[in-house]
Amino acid sequence: MSFRLLTGRTPAPSRLCGPTLVYVCIGGIMSVFMDLNVLFSPDRNRLRGVIETAAHLGFSTIAINYVFEPSSKKKQEVPVPCPISELIDQLPVVQGRSRPIRVLNRLTVLMSDSSHFRPSAPEYRRFDLLAVHPTTEKLFHAACMLYDTDIICISVTEKLPFIFKRAPINGAVERGVVFEVSYSAAIRDATMRRYTIANAVCLMDSCKGKNVILSSAAEKALELRGPYDITNLGLLFGLSDGDAKEAVSSTCRAVLLHAETRRTASGIVYTSRIQQEALQDSDCRFRLT
Amino acid sequence: MKPVDQKEESVYQRVVLKNASPYHYLKVHLVLENETTRLTAVELKQFIITGLKTLHGEVGAALNVDVLKYDDDSLTALLRVSSRGLVKLWSSLTLLGSYQNQACAFRVLQVSRPTLFFNGPVQYSQNYHWGVTEVHPEQETNTCLP
Repeated sequence: MSFRLLTGRTPAPSRLCGPTLVYVCIGGIMSVFMDLNVLFSPDRNRLRGVIETAAHLGFSTIAINYVFEPSSKKKQEVPVPCPISELIDQLPVVQGRSRPIRVLNRLTVLMSDSSHFRPSAPEYRRFDLLAVHPTTEKLFHAACMLYDTDIICISVTEKLPFIFKRAPINGAVERGVVFEVSYSAAIRDATMRRYTIANAVCLMDSCKGKNVILSSAAEKALELRGPYDITNLGLLFGLSDGDAKEAVSSTCRAVLLHAETRRTASGIVYTSRIQQEALQDSDCRFRLT
Repeated sequence: MKPVDQKEESVYQRVVLKNASPYHYLKVHLVLENETTRLTAVELKQFIITGLKTLHGEVGAALNVDVLKYDDDSLTALLRVSSRGLVKLWSSLTLLGSYQNQACAFRVLQVSRPTLFFNGPVQYSQNYHWGVTEVHPEQETNTCLP
């Protein structure tokens, strides 16, 4: 029996307020695969199809991504996430596990100016995950070092507008912010394929394979790929075997924990006991105050 | 894992690596947008080679891929590729997006030989499952044209 410590973001001492929550999960742990970027479309049937395909392929968690592009010219409203119960009546069960798929909401802010991202805005609280897509080098540096975000998106549809430097990337890795590469553009178009691979390889060179997640930016069910397919793609991008698998499983889980700590402003420490015989659905949680 | 023979009589050192099977086997299922479309085995092989060529160029297209078994009703095929070419073939199948202007997806159902990818208990289920099987070379039947 061994204990494995899964920590979320370590909070700065000033943020610790009152008692800290400690969750202890007892149960077998299998690889949990997640796809944290499924583009939202107003067509309910299409979205339902994507969710069902994701469950069929073995993803335990997906996040519906609302892309928000603020412009300084006209004031735009931050999109309101549609409640999951409205989207789909009964969540499909994940292939190979006994639990239904977990669906989260995520907001991606496409930033071309530093005033576009306002983390204290109340509209951002409705989303479980927060992502930032910087378009200039200054914004990238600021997003890595300062911004209160979980995910930094790397553009895959165009030539990189700036070169990745080690300093901001190391800063982001220390803070627990992850970099995301989407692969469905590579499926759609040949030119995009070149950009995806080029940008991903560039990123892996700078960050040495740490804190990277691979996700689809799927609009249709046929653009999703299974978790082991994506692990193989990770090898193509320059990740090692272990890093590539982590990019679809444990790093994604770290992002979810990071998002929880960001929202509740205190630290969460998960410890889990790994047992040989799998106890089905016997997660035992107790809270220490 | 691989037994190594060494000959020590002569001046040079020769290392012989014995590999049980130089091939990897992939069981794939092609999902098309229009579910009534059917492909013959030759068309499928042509499609796979085109995919390899698009992603990995002439070197990829020169890879020896064989379609060992093919069920044209369910569009399920058993592919064989040399071990060095597994990553190339698998990645080109993943990134194949369209067949004759309709969207498609290759679902890889099984890959032979446990690799670092599979480290949990093997799961079996009805249709799509990530399982690991040892496919023996005796099962090869060249039912399709090379």
